[in-house]
Amino acid sequence: MKIKVYRDLMGANDKWANKTRALLAKEKVKMLNLIGSPGAGKTALLEQSVKKFSRQLNFAVLEGDIETKNDAERLARLNCRVSQLLTGGGCHLEAKMVNYAVRDLPLRRLDLVVVENVGNLVCPAEFDIGEHAKVVVLSVTEGEDKPLKYPTIFRESSAVVITKTDLLPHVPFKLKKCLANIRLMNPRLRVFQVSTVTGKGINEWMEWLTSFAGGNRDSEK
Amino acid sequence: MHEFSICQALVAAVLAELGKVKNGKMRLKKARVAAGQYHRLVPASLKLAYKILTRDTPAEGSSLLIKTIPIKLKCNQCGWKGTTRDICFVCRKCGGVDLEIIEGKELCLESIEVE
Repeated sequence: MKIKVYRDLMGANDKWANKTRALLAKEKVKMLNLIGSPGAGKTALLEQSVKKFSRQLNFAVLEGDIETKNDAERLARLNCRVSQLLTGGGCHLEAKMVNYAVRDLPLRRLDLVVVENVGNLVCPAEFDIGEHAKVVVLSVTEGEDKPLKYPTIFRESSAVVITKTDLLPHVPFKLKKCLANIRLMNPRLRVFQVSTVTGKGINEWMEWLTSFAGGNRDSEK
Repeated sequence: MHEFSICQALVAAVLAELGKVKNGKMRLKKARVAAGQYHRLVPASLKLAYKILTRDTPAEGSSLLIKTIPIKLKCNQCGWKGTTRDICFVCRKCGGVDLEIIEGKELCLESIEVE
């Protein structure tokens, strides 16, 4: 006997994601899902963002890792509000675990929550964790063909941050080719070129981040 | 690796549906999944995860059938519609790159077969 079902398999995850978005909407907080390969410079980008802009923007970071609290400790040293999410082997964050972490945050005092996903360009692209936008981080020490190799994350993201640009003279990374590949995958993607060592490009990235947070700074937070 | 996570949701759905049939007294033969190409699921990984996750459950021993749904695009410039296997989405009629996915993002338990 055949029984027709048609049950969405992402439904359970998406339910938690929607709960998180409702929670954030209540307090007018935006959430960003930062995704990139291991070593792409996600934490360094956040360190610079916290150092330069924590006075203008009230934000908290949720650090996703398989093991260690190293990244959370790096950000905590800068007096950033940070929680560590350890997946214990899981290669991506899912909506339920993020929901639990978000519930522990003082949302009333925040403008923005940045979730640093587990270093991985494949699985995190598939899971809605309750964010309002995904941002992909790509370093010049990787390769200009990354957008072609990992199409889903480049299609699902709203912006790409090309990091470690201070290394461009020393690596065979073809920036023009990379930008063309990004356009081919997703013509709507905003592109930022950043060096966390020299600080170049950080202001443009933070302008976007501030506008993404939606003028919450003008509120009484 | 996300096949394993997705399979956890799949097995939960299969067991829930199986439990509804005659108080869960039927034996599950097959579960059919419709998987859009956009998810890039590896069928062999999904089947392996299914075998592992159904062990010691009422669904143990059942087979998993996976129907892959191709990506279908619509060009926002000229209205062209068609399927693609290419990673780059380019309109085959006008060459535009502003296309939306109208099929191929599905991921659902379509049916179960019991006896």
